[in-house]
Amino acid sequence: MSERVADVSLPRRATRMSLSSRAPKALLWLFGAAVLLGGLTGVVVLLTPSLHHLYERQDLTATFQGPMTDGHLLGTDNLGRDLFWRSLAGLGVSLVVGVGVAVISLAVGLVIGILAGFFGKVADVTATVVVDVTWAFPAILLAIVLTGARGPGLVTVVMALALTSWAGFARLVRGEVLALREREFVSAALVLGVSKVRVSVRHFLPALLPLSLVMGAFFVSTSVAAEAGLSFLGLGTQPPTPSLGSILADGRLYLPVSPWPIIVAGSFLAATVTFFNTVGDRLRDTWDPREVTRP
Amino acid sequence: MTYVLQRVAYALLVLFLVSIVTFVGLHVAPGDVTTSVLNPTTTPPEVIAALREQLGLDQPILVQYWNYLHGVLTGDLGLSLVDRVPVRTVIANSAGYTVVLALAAFVVTFGLGVPLGALSAIRKGGVVDFVIRGFANLLLGIPDFVLALLLILVVAVHLHWLPVSGASSWRNLVLPAFVLAAEPLGLTIRVTRVAFLENRQADYVRTLRARGVSATRIDWRHILRNSMTAVVSLGAVQVRTLLGYALIVEVIFRWPGLGYQLVHSILQRDYAVTQSLVLLLAAVVVISSTIGDLLLAWVDPRIRTGGASE
Repeated sequence: MSERVADVSLPRRATRMSLSSRAPKALLWLFGAAVLLGGLTGVVVLLTPSLHHLYERQDLTATFQGPMTDGHLLGTDNLGRDLFWRSLAGLGVSLVVGVGVAVISLAVGLVIGILAGFFGKVADVTATVVVDVTWAFPAILLAIVLTGARGPGLVTVVMALALTSWAGFARLVRGEVLALREREFVSAALVLGVSKVRVSVRHFLPALLPLSLVMGAFFVSTSVAAEAGLSFLGLGTQPPTPSLGSILADGRLYLPVSPWPIIVAGSFLAATVTFFNTVGDRLRDTWDPREVTRP
Repeated sequence: MTYVLQRVAYALLVLFLVSIVTFVGLHVAPGDVTTSVLNPTTTPPEVIAALREQLGLDQPILVQYWNYLHGVLTGDLGLSLVDRVPVRTVIANSAGYTVVLALAAFVVTFGLGVPLGALSAIRKGGVVDFVIRGFANLLLGIPDFVLALLLILVVAVHLHWLPVSGASSWRNLVLPAFVLAAEPLGLTIRVTRVAFLENRQADYVRTLRARGVSATRIDWRHILRNSMTAVVSLGAVQVRTLLGYALIVEVIFRWPGLGYQLVHSILQRDYAVTQSLVLLLAAVVVISSTIGDLLLAWVDPRIRTGGASE
């Protein structure tokens, strides 16, 4: 772990590398509003049993409809269920998973990273070993094994993804803390008798906020993709709860009959992932111009 | 040399802990393999008990772990109860497919990513740059399996160009390799472009230009070579991501590699296979990141002496 720290203290330099960072701001706002509003609507629909008929009602006389037919904005699936509402509800599930994983990963990563960087040799060695062991499991591998072992479900997916994704972030936090603790204001606080915990909370956390927000955006985008991937394999969100991944899995079976389920759910998913990637890129360009490798 | 020994010893420690985590993690899971090969409602309990005893599942967990570790170190990984063959055979049969797939993805990633990234940097601000960067962002934004489905839809279902599943010929390799390469390819294009643009500002470029070296030669010979370090260090990180995605890609295309076997074994509760595959994949990650660290230390002596960050 210490070998990688060298990267973190490189001089700052401005790198404008993404096309998205040049796209008009209004477009990004519009895009973001659509994704977030859609996701929130999805959550509301999921939490309101009286609205479940929107995505649950089957109509076997109108299966595999194309968009704009018969009151179905984006068509229907193999059971004649409305694709727009199913995808919207699925987007809601995705966002809940993404935000859940991001919050847990950030919290754990901050605590472990600060412990490793600021609370002595024993804490550092222990944290480093834990991080490296966690890091040995590719996120999707551990998620698959855990969901296989614990049985699938929404909570399991969030746990499984959070359990793997904090490690890379903890590494970055430790590197930042190693640099921060040499600064004058930290020495001054310590000399004045301020406790290490208080220094961490009052001085380190605010300084780590930009890095946390950048990584948070990337956590959301990778977890949304991973949740969909797991649900696609049948190891994630379980029916009857709709999920972009399971819509895609069903759609795959009927691909020769109708491409619409895959096109609709795929676009929802790609739009969400791209949006959070773009937000992450933007935040990084603004606050943290170094190249942080995506998790 | 001490540094190398330290790193190797540390990697061994991490591997040891990984084996414990894997073992314990799979053993606290509900249900065991006996319920998936024998129907618990119709089989007499004595038969199930006998099978458990034969597999050593009735022993304390520490003893089971010790037996397992001993087996791993002597190359005996146990028996796949579902497929009735040694786990070693299962791995030997599928590892080759994963290696071929990973190598093909690797070739696509660097074979396309480096030239495209360089081209994008050379034509900075132009149409070519715009198109290449759009392409890279598209690759980063579409999750692997969605890309896989779209490609299946277009290339296989509508155009009938390529087969979509199985591994009967090299044509089966094209789609999974490209899908697996998609995200690393997008990243490689971006990283190459940034490194290239930075190197263009370097003093040696001015010197070369002053000496009358042609612009093409400076770009493709000198700058590109100096930009490669960033790409190579990205490569070590990518191994982990690539392995993770390979699991899903193999399942979608029914490519009979390690990932396909892993998902199959989890759904079948075939613990002996799952355990060995997880350990193997984690070992690949640990070994590749150790090699990456050693390579970086070899390139940058400051890391070896630990003087860089302190």
